[in-house]
Amino acid sequence: MKILLAEDDFASRKFMDKQLSRYGECDVMVDGEEAVDAFMMALEDGEPYDLACLDVMMPVMDGYQVLKAIRDIEAQKGIPKSKRVKVIMTTALNDERNVKMAFELGCEAYAGKPIDVEKFEKVLNKLGLI
Amino acid sequence: MAEEFNTESMLDMFLYESGQLLEKLEGIILEKQDADCFDDADINEIFRVMHTIKGSSGVLMYDNITKVTHKLEDVFYYLRESHPDDVPHMELVEHVLAVSDFVTGELDKLKNGEQPDGDEKQLVEDLDEFLGRLKGEITKQGIQMPQANKHVEPTQFYITPVAGDDSHFYRISIHYRSDTQMSNLRAYSATYALKEVAEDLLYTPDDILSNEASADVIVAEGFHMLLQTKSSKEEVIALIDSSEAEEINFDELTKEEYGNALGEFGREQVILEPAPAEKAKADAKPEKKEAPKPGDYVVKTKEAGKGKTLAKNQPKQQSIISVNVEKMDALMDLIGELVIAEAVVLQNPDLKVPGLELSNFQKASGQLSKITTELQEVIMSMRMMPLTNVFQKMRRIVFDVSRKLGKDIELEVVGENTEVDKNIIEHITDPLMHLVRNSVDHGIEENSEDRTSIGKPAKGKITLEAKNEGGKVYISVKDDGKGLNKEKLYQKALEKGVIENKPMSEFTDKEIFRFITLPGFSTKEEVTEYSGRGVGMDVVVKNIQSISGRLDINSVEFEGSEMTLVIPLTLAIINGIVVQVGNSPFVIETASIKEFVRVGEDSLIHEPSGEEYIVLRGECYPFIRLNEKYDLPDSVHKIEEGIVVVLEHEGSQVCVLIDKLLQEQEIVVKPIPPYVKKVKGLSGCTQLGDGSIALILDIAGLLMHDGERR
Repeated sequence: MKILLAEDDFASRKFMDKQLSRYGECDVMVDGEEAVDAFMMALEDGEPYDLACLDVMMPVMDGYQVLKAIRDIEAQKGIPKSKRVKVIMTTALNDERNVKMAFELGCEAYAGKPIDVEKFEKVLNKLGLI
Repeated sequence: MAEEFNTESMLDMFLYESGQLLEKLEGIILEKQDADCFDDADINEIFRVMHTIKGSSGVLMYDNITKVTHKLEDVFYYLRESHPDDVPHMELVEHVLAVSDFVTGELDKLKNGEQPDGDEKQLVEDLDEFLGRLKGEITKQGIQMPQANKHVEPTQFYITPVAGDDSHFYRISIHYRSDTQMSNLRAYSATYALKEVAEDLLYTPDDILSNEASADVIVAEGFHMLLQTKSSKEEVIALIDSSEAEEINFDELTKEEYGNALGEFGREQVILEPAPAEKAKADAKPEKKEAPKPGDYVVKTKEAGKGKTLAKNQPKQQSIISVNVEKMDALMDLIGELVIAEAVVLQNPDLKVPGLELSNFQKASGQLSKITTELQEVIMSMRMMPLTNVFQKMRRIVFDVSRKLGKDIELEVVGENTEVDKNIIEHITDPLMHLVRNSVDHGIEENSEDRTSIGKPAKGKITLEAKNEGGKVYISVKDDGKGLNKEKLYQKALEKGVIENKPMSEFTDKEIFRFITLPGFSTKEEVTEYSGRGVGMDVVVKNIQSISGRLDINSVEFEGSEMTLVIPLTLAIINGIVVQVGNSPFVIETASIKEFVRVGEDSLIHEPSGEEYIVLRGECYPFIRLNEKYDLPDSVHKIEEGIVVVLEHEGSQVCVLIDKLLQEQEIVVKPIPPYVKKVKGLSGCTQLGDGSIALILDIAGLLMHDGERR
């Protein structure tokens, strides 16, 4: 599967890259804008991403903006719900308001940092990705 | 959802919410346990509770909780949709309680930072079986089967972070030598090394790489870091390069202190700089003002090595603070000392000089007394807690035990808002539990036929009552069961050899009833799971006596029994009367004094063994001369010259001879210091207004001693 990883912190990026590479090809972005660009590009090439892991606190655009942009683009292109990219937010912002908001914006999962790898895999399973 | 809670983490929120829901659930169940069935409102409520817990546990992926609550939700779904008759109510109640217990257990595990790993299989099977029968019943009653309860699998998940509870929090300050070159780079290398192990790292000054001037600041003020990590102190120290460092301060912080310290480091201003208004235009959805918006978390200023994440522990404003009980105890002690000190001042011997003009002093001292009294009342009320929680536990016990024993019992609770000292609550919970169990097990008849045949309602009744009277709390457990059989108790006591061979008529009813509190005494032939082993009642009495309370037993055969715990409202300050024997002052608790009398020599009876008795209005009381008992010289010997005090404790009386009465006052009880050998008949001591020490008479001890002597 094709994975988009947006994460500005080097250590987290390296860790996530290593984890996600087990499941498929992983493109790594360092800020939010790049992530949206990469998403658009993949969509236009007809090879959309299956999974996007977005950090929340990033330069230029934060994870929520990226999530919203992705969902807006998908809606505009008329992509059906089942074909949408699965989004997992990865962040240390664990308070309830942030989690609720991310859910409202349409992410599939919200992973609190430090990430529980076992549960992460379970979610990928539930989302039908692996 | 209450606004003030939404800064809590997702997991805390789940625990809090589920805990609340379960509490509510248990409330409904226990209230309706005796009804024939749940009404619509209850069914809806239980359904809703289960649905909510199922939903949120699903999002958090606690599968066992989800499965169990899911099943119970199903059960209530069918109840709600089909309203079948003849639902086995008791069984249903048990199922709900089982689920509630299971979930509570799992939540406790989560609170302790463990994984919820309880096995739900048995519970789910039981529920399945019950649901199967329920469905059969619905079909049989010809009610249309509702469409299967559609379950929406959660489509969104929250992955809880790896438990951070074992993290350590440190504040590290490094002071470099004043001639250190490029201290900013040294500081950077320290932060770099720590990043390996850090879960969270903040430092000040924070512009160490981009601003060369920071080197001077570091040399002048030191370099300060806040670190959250799983590593131990030693591991962290090993990572920091200590060359050139003059001094490294290393403090371990608690989570709270860490949260407060975050503010000092200016975390929010740097990282959570809110997006300017025009940035927020991307956000089309109208949202609550407080809610974060996309764009809020754009990282604006971000230097290399900057720690990230958000302050999780912002202090909240609350109208209730919790205080360490030790501090309350210390305050209580201090106020006790204050009361003594006040008495020392106001009753100072220096004031007794004749002809002293004291009217202003009296005014001032009146004011002082008023304030200290109020102070005492306030501290007392701070330590008071209602019995509601204790009684709630009793409801559960009556329910559980009566179900297990197959008895139909109703529990009535009176006065659950009665308040008592927190210390006392801790001491009475176990004894009370024991009494309630006893009432259910022994008190109420085995079969309802035994009840109906003597004209009692088939349903047993236990009344739990609390009231507050005259500085004492009365908590009674009353049942309308078979009562105590005096004959049986007497025979049993003889058999067990706990009493001497005296005819039954020599014992009062109360004395006979009190046999059941003797160690190893149980008239029930068979031992049950709950009671009957004969250990217990003696423990109950011991526990109660340890807080200077007593147990009263009253019973009428075939009509029921009543066990009453009588407990002082507070232990630390009593109302006492100060008396004098020889040169020594003694204090007697006012509540135990029946009367003061002057009697003549002719009322005395001398036994050949040296014991003395006093006859008052035809009644005979044991008589103790305190001066002889405690070897006090210069005291009154002739009974006509002294005063006889009649004291009572648990229905037994004793008379003591004193010289004169001094005053009545509030007494702060202090234990007798351990270097004084244990003296029988004294329970403590106190300091009087003139600074002298008075001993407090222990009536129970006097009676016991008197009994042994005979």
